[in-house]
Amino acid sequence: MIDALASLGQGFQVALAPMNLMFIFIGVCLGQLIGALPGLGPSAGMALLLPITFGIPPVTAIMMLAGIMYGGMYGGTLTSVLVNVPGEAASVMTAVDGHKLAKKGRAGAALSVSAIGSFLAGIGAVTALVFVTPPLAEFALSFSSPEYFLLATLGITATASIGSGSPLKAILMAVFGLMIALIGTDPILGSSRLTFGVTELLDGIDFLPVAIGIFGVAEVLASLERSYDSEPIKTRLRDMWLSAKDWAECRVAILRGGFLGFFIGLMPGAGPTVASILAYVTEKRFSKHPERFGEGALDGVAAAESANNSAAHGALIPMLALGIPGSASTAVLLAALVLQGIRPGPTLLVEQADLVWGLIASMFVGNIILLILNLPLAPVFAALLRIPYEYLAPGILVISLVGAYATTLSLFNVGLTLFFGMVGYLMIKADLPRAPVVLAVVLAQLMESSLRQSLMLSEGSLVIFVQRPLSAILLLLVIGSLLLPLLNMLTRRRVARRNRREGSISIATK
Amino acid sequence: MHTIGRLSTRFSRRLIMMGAASATAALMLGSQPVLAQGKAPTGPIEITSGTSPGGTPDVLMRRAAKILNEEKIITNPIVVQNRTGGSWMVAANWVLNKKGDDNTVLTIAQPILTTPITTGQPTVYDKLTPISMFIQGDLLIAVQPNSPANNLKEFIDLAKQRERSVKVAGAQAGSTDHMVTGLVEKAGNVKLNYVPFDGGGAATSAFLGGNVDMIVLPPSEALPLIKSNKAKLLAVLSENRRKEPEFKDVPTAKEQGFDIVWGQSWGLAGPPDMDPELVKFWDDAIQKLVKTDAWQAMVDEMFLRSEVVPASQAKEHMAELHQEHLALLRDLGLAK
Repeated sequence: MIDALASLGQGFQVALAPMNLMFIFIGVCLGQLIGALPGLGPSAGMALLLPITFGIPPVTAIMMLAGIMYGGMYGGTLTSVLVNVPGEAASVMTAVDGHKLAKKGRAGAALSVSAIGSFLAGIGAVTALVFVTPPLAEFALSFSSPEYFLLATLGITATASIGSGSPLKAILMAVFGLMIALIGTDPILGSSRLTFGVTELLDGIDFLPVAIGIFGVAEVLASLERSYDSEPIKTRLRDMWLSAKDWAECRVAILRGGFLGFFIGLMPGAGPTVASILAYVTEKRFSKHPERFGEGALDGVAAAESANNSAAHGALIPMLALGIPGSASTAVLLAALVLQGIRPGPTLLVEQADLVWGLIASMFVGNIILLILNLPLAPVFAALLRIPYEYLAPGILVISLVGAYATTLSLFNVGLTLFFGMVGYLMIKADLPRAPVVLAVVLAQLMESSLRQSLMLSEGSLVIFVQRPLSAILLLLVIGSLLLPLLNMLTRRRVARRNRREGSISIATK
Repeated sequence: MHTIGRLSTRFSRRLIMMGAASATAALMLGSQPVLAQGKAPTGPIEITSGTSPGGTPDVLMRRAAKILNEEKIITNPIVVQNRTGGSWMVAANWVLNKKGDDNTVLTIAQPILTTPITTGQPTVYDKLTPISMFIQGDLLIAVQPNSPANNLKEFIDLAKQRERSVKVAGAQAGSTDHMVTGLVEKAGNVKLNYVPFDGGGAATSAFLGGNVDMIVLPPSEALPLIKSNKAKLLAVLSENRRKEPEFKDVPTAKEQGFDIVWGQSWGLAGPPDMDPELVKFWDDAIQKLVKTDAWQAMVDEMFLRSEVVPASQAKEHMAELHQEHLALLRDLGLAK
């Protein structure tokens, strides 16, 4: 432990060198911006900037790119809350509850709690990185296909409980999302599936056109029906900040979200998106007011945002200790190392101690910079919503479509986004929950391929899901998540029936 | 299998040609005073890549672009653009639609050949203008460090005990490691259990987690694993052993009596009907590129090889490679 602290001290010397400090600052600012703009997620942004890092020393380059990675987790919140367009995949849950909060004039609170949650979870995760990287990396490897399948299933079954509407509708919408995800290339056989000969569909339908369309574009379309003299969202200044009551409500959510996110982040197959979804549904289970989830629950936003940031940091553990990318973003970080001529792998920690410890120290610095940036700016951004929606709407549409274009540089995705915008509009009209569709699209690929991989590994035997201790635990959780709502429903019915009977008895005795 | 090896060498040569041609084109554009008689592209050049940044072909082209510019072989700014999707078909179609464009070339990698075969789309390689194949990579067969097998023969015997009992960590159906698995099955007359994970990183973590028995790795990825004793190398699938001290004791599959020769190769191709003078521009540039110290250092550092298949042989080389891949994928039941 003393060794780790000494190395960390050395790391801080590297990270606080003026040039490195400047690049950390540039990195986190870019990350904030890239995260906020829909379409270009942190990994794509890092990838775009990769060539620029040629000219700078490896340590500096990695610090900057990592800054984009976790900066994106802070920035993604912004558009999710303000205009209901998730800036990147890990902010889907935030778009659900954060925007509802914004409509109630509580955008400032949502943004502040996200910034604080991200900061605390980030710092916690980096501290864990300092002390327990090697043992945790080994632990991360004990997760494989069976566990990933059950994790994804847990996410999907939990969608039924998201939102306040009918669980049946939610499940139906999740199935619709799974059907969208079937389009593309079969992950095991590599043959094309439901693509109808369209090359652009070979890679399947990405989550982004679906999310931007169903959330953002649909929202704009639905707003066109409202009369022009609609009142802008009223935000009172004192609603901009977190109240003591908000904080009391959210601090445990941040803790839970942070821990859960970290553990999911360090599994090489999961990543920040899965982390934030599972943190959100876990929080709903623990919450004293689960009915508020889906209607603007501040603690839901806090859990999801803390989880995605700590997951982004946790994903560095398998990367640094084993050379395995734990997420799309860490894959780009690995690529940056390779481009700089550094070979990632189990020997990285020893051979490149300066780089690894410099990077870890830089994340302390970067998270502090991001907190300082985000806290005062939260009310400023929230004030944007004072602009009447009819002026805001065209801007949202433009940002959404540019975002859809930016991911693959193809107009096909723009068309797809508009199509899902219309689907989303019809869903609003039919009062169908939209989040389960997007969640299912996000989770489907992991769910499908890990199920099939598991069955290939076990040569067709389902025993693999109970044989492995970790997957047995997860299986119990999945069964529990299905049984609990059912039990709730049954008890509620029985109570209702008894009440009715008692009511009729009392009438009869009158 | 022998044919396949030859084919891939020829493929590489052709890829080299493609690269050279694109380099030539860039050269012509940029350094008109030097190559006054030839045609050269004017303005920035795009090297289209079908992988996301950091994928091996992307890294190679970025390094090549950097050296071409730094050594002033090509003075036009070179941008490596990642157009991902459709297993390279998005990138390929982008360049296929650039007929007559002087400033765009395509990175040639295995999926350019294999994706049309496995998805039943029309072939792509024969519509492009091959420039050069100039980078080759070897592959190694690795098993768990505690595996009872210490050489390929013992490994095959192990697989013979029960069909599909030996699990192979794969990146993707139809990818290089799948084809290698097919070759091992054929050479050893065994049936392995190929499990495609989602990409090379996921395959490696499945291997490190002890969930599978075998993995196919390039030397650069195998090195950190053998250094930390997380893998045992059984064979290198090239004609000759590698010369580096770390790999010189790894015998080839052929030495062990299994005729398995397979590798990877990369290069460049231009859009359809590319001006022959532009092809020459790139061809010349690649020839100069591979002679630079910086390039040699990169090739050594990444444990690759750089043997140029010039533009004059690239077309034939690509056709042979296509036939090899087609035959193998048919054997695997993956060809449409």
